[in-house]
Amino acid sequence: MLTDKTLEEIERIKKKYPNTKSACMEALQAAQREKGHVTECDMRAVAEALDIEPVEVQEVGGFYTMYNVEKPKGRHHVQVCRNLSCSLLGAEHIILAIEQELGIKTGETTEDDRITLSTAECLGSCGTAPMMQINDEFHEDLTVDKVSDILKGLK
Amino acid sequence: MENVLLKNINNPGGHTLKNYLAGGGYEALKKTFKVTPDDIIQTMKDSHLRGRGGAGFPAGLKWSFIPKDPTVDKYVCCNADEGEPGTFKDRGIIEYDPHLLIEGMIIAGYAIGAATSYIYIRGEFEFGAKRLEAAIAEAYDKGYLGKDILGSGFTHDMYVHRGFGAYICGEETALLESIEGYRGQPKKKPPFPALSGLYSKPTIINNVETLACVPPIIAKGVEWFTSMGPEKSPGPKIFCVSGHVEKPGLYELPMGTTLREIIFDHCGGIKDGKNFKAVIPGGVSAPLFKEDNLDISMDFDSVMAAGSMLGSGAVIVMDETTCMVKSAYIVNRFFSHESCGKCTPCREGTIWATKVLRRIEYGAGRPDDIELLESICDKIFGRTFCALGDGAVMALRAFINNFREEFKYHIENKKCMVQA
Amino acid sequence: MVTLKVNGKEISVADGTLILDAAKEAGFVIPTFCYQAELSSLGSCRMCIIEIGGQKKLQPACITPVLQDMEISTETEQVEDARASMLEFLLSNHALDCPVCDKAGECELQDMVHKHGPRKGRFAEMRETFHVKDYPLSPVIVKNSNRCVQCMRCVRVCKEVVGRGVLGTIGRGAHQEETSFLKGELDCDHCGMCIEVCPVGCFMRRPYRYKSRPWDLNSTKTVCQYCATGCITKIEERDGEVIRSIASKDTEGFNGRMLCSRGRFGHDFLNNEERLTTPLLRVNGTLEPVSWDKALDVIKDKLKKSQPDRVGAVASARLTNEELYMLQKVMREGVGSSNVDASSRWSAGDSEAFIAATAIDGAGLSIDNCMEADTIFVVGSHISDENPVTDYMVRYLSASRRKTVMVASVRPMKLDRSAQITARHMPGRLGAFLAGVTLKLYEENKTKLSGVKGVKSLDGLSIDKLSKASGVAPGDIEAIAKKLSSSQSVSIMAGTDMIRLGDGTGGLCLLSDILKTLDKRVFVLPLLDRSNQRGAWDMGAHPNFGPGYSELKGDTGLDCGAMLEKASKGEMDLLYVIGDDILAMYPDRAFAEGAIEKVGFLVVQDIFLSDTGKVADLVLPGASFVEKTGTVTNQEGRVQPIKPLRKPLGKAREDLNIIADIGSMISKNGSFTGDITAETVMEDIKKDVPMYGDVECDEQGCRGFLIGGVARRSLKCISVGEEDTTELKENKKYPYYLVTGNHLFGSGTLTGSSSMLRKLIKEPTIEMCIEEAKSSGLTDGDMVTVESDGGNGKYRLQTRKKSSSKVVFIAENFNEGSVNRLYKIGERVPRVSVNKGA
Ligand SMILES: Cc1cc2nc3c(=O)[nH]c(=O)nc-3n(C[C@H](O)[C@H](O)[C@H](O)COP(=O)(O)O)c2cc1C
Ligand code: SF4
Ligand code: FES
Repeated sequence: MLTDKTLEEIERIKKKYPNTKSACMEALQAAQREKGHVTECDMRAVAEALDIEPVEVQEVGGFYTMYNVEKPKGRHHVQVCRNLSCSLLGAEHIILAIEQELGIKTGETTEDDRITLSTAECLGSCGTAPMMQINDEFHEDLTVDKVSDILKGLK
Repeated sequence: MENVLLKNINNPGGHTLKNYLAGGGYEALKKTFKVTPDDIIQTMKDSHLRGRGGAGFPAGLKWSFIPKDPTVDKYVCCNADEGEPGTFKDRGIIEYDPHLLIEGMIIAGYAIGAATSYIYIRGEFEFGAKRLEAAIAEAYDKGYLGKDILGSGFTHDMYVHRGFGAYICGEETALLESIEGYRGQPKKKPPFPALSGLYSKPTIINNVETLACVPPIIAKGVEWFTSMGPEKSPGPKIFCVSGHVEKPGLYELPMGTTLREIIFDHCGGIKDGKNFKAVIPGGVSAPLFKEDNLDISMDFDSVMAAGSMLGSGAVIVMDETTCMVKSAYIVNRFFSHESCGKCTPCREGTIWATKVLRRIEYGAGRPDDIELLESICDKIFGRTFCALGDGAVMALRAFINNFREEFKYHIENKKCMVQA
Repeated sequence: MVTLKVNGKEISVADGTLILDAAKEAGFVIPTFCYQAELSSLGSCRMCIIEIGGQKKLQPACITPVLQDMEISTETEQVEDARASMLEFLLSNHALDCPVCDKAGECELQDMVHKHGPRKGRFAEMRETFHVKDYPLSPVIVKNSNRCVQCMRCVRVCKEVVGRGVLGTIGRGAHQEETSFLKGELDCDHCGMCIEVCPVGCFMRRPYRYKSRPWDLNSTKTVCQYCATGCITKIEERDGEVIRSIASKDTEGFNGRMLCSRGRFGHDFLNNEERLTTPLLRVNGTLEPVSWDKALDVIKDKLKKSQPDRVGAVASARLTNEELYMLQKVMREGVGSSNVDASSRWSAGDSEAFIAATAIDGAGLSIDNCMEADTIFVVGSHISDENPVTDYMVRYLSASRRKTVMVASVRPMKLDRSAQITARHMPGRLGAFLAGVTLKLYEENKTKLSGVKGVKSLDGLSIDKLSKASGVAPGDIEAIAKKLSSSQSVSIMAGTDMIRLGDGTGGLCLLSDILKTLDKRVFVLPLLDRSNQRGAWDMGAHPNFGPGYSELKGDTGLDCGAMLEKASKGEMDLLYVIGDDILAMYPDRAFAEGAIEKVGFLVVQDIFLSDTGKVADLVLPGASFVEKTGTVTNQEGRVQPIKPLRKPLGKAREDLNIIADIGSMISKNGSFTGDITAETVMEDIKKDVPMYGDVECDEQGCRGFLIGGVARRSLKCISVGEEDTTELKENKKYPYYLVTGNHLFGSGTLTGSSSMLRKLIKEPTIEMCIEEAKSSGLTDGDMVTVESDGGNGKYRLQTRKKSSSKVVFIAENFNEGSVNRLYKIGERVPRVSVNKGA
């Protein structure tokens, strides 16, 4: 179930648009903010709040890659950009270093649910490549040492 | 040259309304309200401002397509999806000078008679979205947005709509679908958004940089704008330089600056004193250039004439150590990942090409793989629904055509020709 | 008109015609996947891309309109290459499991590859697959995503035609999959439209799985029997077992590929083991098989001993025109009685008023024509449940033609979502509501309308009063009046609630007269639930008029209710019931049981042993619609042939022959002997019923709508003053108003005998407003007891959104827990209580 706070936020989001369906994307974002992913229940609740079919919510959840539908992610979601600019400047080494440091493969979550590692396509930070995003925050001009420090700082 | 679009890039705290006003902000808006909407559209036409989102369509002309019927709702949409790999200019404007964009959008709204506008910002730009929302709140607070703006009688509401991870939503019709709460798949044109766009109402969609050019054009005049760059695509342009250069970053330069000037004069040349190998002039969809094209003037028409595109102005530089098979693979993988799945050739073709490139890259290439790749390209090109598929093909063809030997070597020797 | 060239051939077509259609007209078929005429255009599969002179890029024919002087080439090397390329792409991630695929043999992908190549596969990679291979989406739908070509027809049809939108596209790019919410069981109409439109074997029928290949099927193109929409369907059997009914693109009915759940999955009743196969005679209290000779002898004997006015016949409005015509003829000319009726649910007076109000005695009118009007106004119907395919047509045609739809109904329904204005009125108060709308129009155009007949009956009424009487807010009444007044043309679709509740026919007459006086074009289309209800009336299977609505020479006869009343006094010597289950349908079961018991000799002719059949003295096995020949007339006045798939089962016979035999036994002048077939009877009908004069039937089907000009309006509209405009009163003991009608998954004995439909609705249910349920401490799925003055029953509760709080609904067709137990004779809207617990 969504919290009252999220439901209130969904009501606010609805006001931005002439129809409720348009609020679907941001409503689902609000739902995801609660725990980092969305469940079947959340999607049903969003559908109910917007008076649309649950499958319409899942369509949105499944198309846009930042929604974590029914996939609980770790507390920290580390996404390393692997597109051309970052790759030219060594994104692969960064990914490898993180995999080694955490003992997991890309796409996996550490056993203590602390960190999930994924790759991402260009995040719009190419001038400061290589880069990664942890939850909402960008970390740029990465080096293997710098990454190691950042990871250590994640609780 | 004095930075206009990136005025505040080195000025932390420059994003506030206070600072914006101190630099002459919202003066253009005041000037706008003194003339008619048609005057504004005419000014935009005279400025020859061309869309900075990639296609270079004249902004004034686009605005003039909007029907004049006052009983019909109209919308302004700002394309801040900034997904083209290599591009990070819109983020710069949004984070450092959000009011420049907001002012541009209000003026656009006034020009076409729109009471509502949406800024479609990509989901990853959490910081940028917050900054925009704060700036919009400031603007409402001081009466630059909302009812009867500055006593002009013009009312305008502005909202941020956050994307959530889909490159295709940069395509304008997909962007509109996304705002309406659907999967972001392109829609057929015609009808063009100017006639039937958001909620089937007349809509203009412009890139952040395009809209950010509007206030300075109004404030400083058309002559100032056209004094820079070639006649047919004048004005300042932000170049996003990344890859193997000494000083990557955003550079606001006149349209028509050459690639050589950008890379060697402004960005300090190739990183670590290595040799230049290739450059992508306008984001990964744009075919790459080799050394012989470095003196091309970076404006829409010249780059097009040389067989590539200015695109979003994302200059990605590759030095001699770069493996072209791998680069092609990365670029193609991106397109197949981002293919929206609507049309057959792009959905099935890009992923097939990616699989073939991957096997070459990992040393399992087959003798006729280059022909296979070219054949796949031919089957996709010109047959897709939107330009994403074409972009993927153009990029891949350029890699193969310019570096065929490297591909051959990779297939035959199961390893790179270059040693990183 | 624009003129253009297709492959060098010059043609002229209307402005805005798609290249696809223009080419077709010129005789060139362009292959397509994603294109489907009824659906919004997508242009995504790229199968249809063709060359346009002067344009470098190939263009999609399915979304590009023609322009003057265009030169189109559809058969060049480049176009063929494009087609082969698309197919190569589609095959690259296709399952290629044709040997085990149900669709093999009628698969569009297979056919297309066969025709356009590629001849050789070059894809050597791992295919993108979905790990779950086959999974059920509903009791009737099963899905295999690995065969998908991403044409999105399923998703679009579900949303745009069916109006459900429970299918979605999940994921993106090569990984996207069209499916239900989390691939779970669908809560939907189970209409199977997704299966029908799927070009490949991605959506499949569960009942048909692994049963047959299309070429092993024996089939007949006929008319669905479940409602008066009259969809054309192909019923198919293998080795004597009916295994599917389909409306494919080549059956070419006006319904295209559309069928509803009943029409698509409900025909397995034909295989039901309990079908009657021999005549049964009651001997010492039990029904025992007898020969036809014996059975007919008994009837002859009984008829001889009966007084004509003590003999009656009640037939189902599912019989053919020929049968119904013959029946009334046998009754009127043979027996000498006009006691003939084609409904046990409605009174003759109510149906007559409805016929008058909807001008059924006039010319036919197609739905398609109706949808030309600016505004479509649906009244007195639960069209989404009763006439599902009509509902589909209204939805997609009104959307694609940008028409305004308005709905006034007692219950919420799916069509509400496609309507711009909806009004929910109280049961039996459609008349009051329509009076409100007419009053509003009248007030605004007093001078112009003062001469309209019956308008004076509005004097003394006020919107406020009518709002209270109908339960519709004044604002809604006014909004509807406003919309009508601003329309140039209006189509009114009027449904069976008006007959069932004897409500609103006067108001409808006045409204259409007023709109006509205001210079608007007005079309009125009846929405009927039994497949041949209109035909039954046309044939004169009605106590008050003869064939073609002709005046009777002698006295009028008795309707079913009057016959029962007479029977209850012991004054009915013989009752001949064909295909109707009076005990299950007559609105007062207790009374019907008592009356039937007292019938001198009860003959029931049916394909199943109905409740009424169980108490009959003689049971005759008739034929189902796939075992007989004839015509039926749908609600639009469209005459369509039904054609046999096989012979009647066992000793069963075609109903027409049985009726004719009975006629010949008693006929004094031999008028029923000789070679009587559906064809010869049709010739008689054409002479006797002028509106059928133009109908031509042959191997291909029937041509000709019922023709106009014969409307006698002999049946006069009742006036508005006679409608109930009093305020509604609360009833403490029985707080709810009970309404009934057809259920989407059930409309009588036939659906009840379909094991597929029984999976879709397992037990009798009662529908109630969700808020009302909540406040009474009830939740969805509870077992409740419903009680009225007449009786009680147990039902499973289903809550509904946007329902009127005081109205509950129980479908009229549950075999067990039949709703007529709750009715008392003459009571149209029983008041009931609903309490938790069984
Ligand atoms: C696949 C694809 C991706 C695009 N992505 C972007 C984008 O991220 N940002 C953008 O401004 N325009 C993008 N465009 C271009 C837009 O469709 C559109 O032309 C542009 O927003 C118009 O604005 P402008 O006239 O100001 O350039 C993209 C186009 C395509 C075909
Ligand atoms: S070209 Fe690609 S991105 Fe564009 S519509 Fe087709 S599948 Fe979608
Ligand atoms: S039929 Fe035209 S694109 Fe699919």
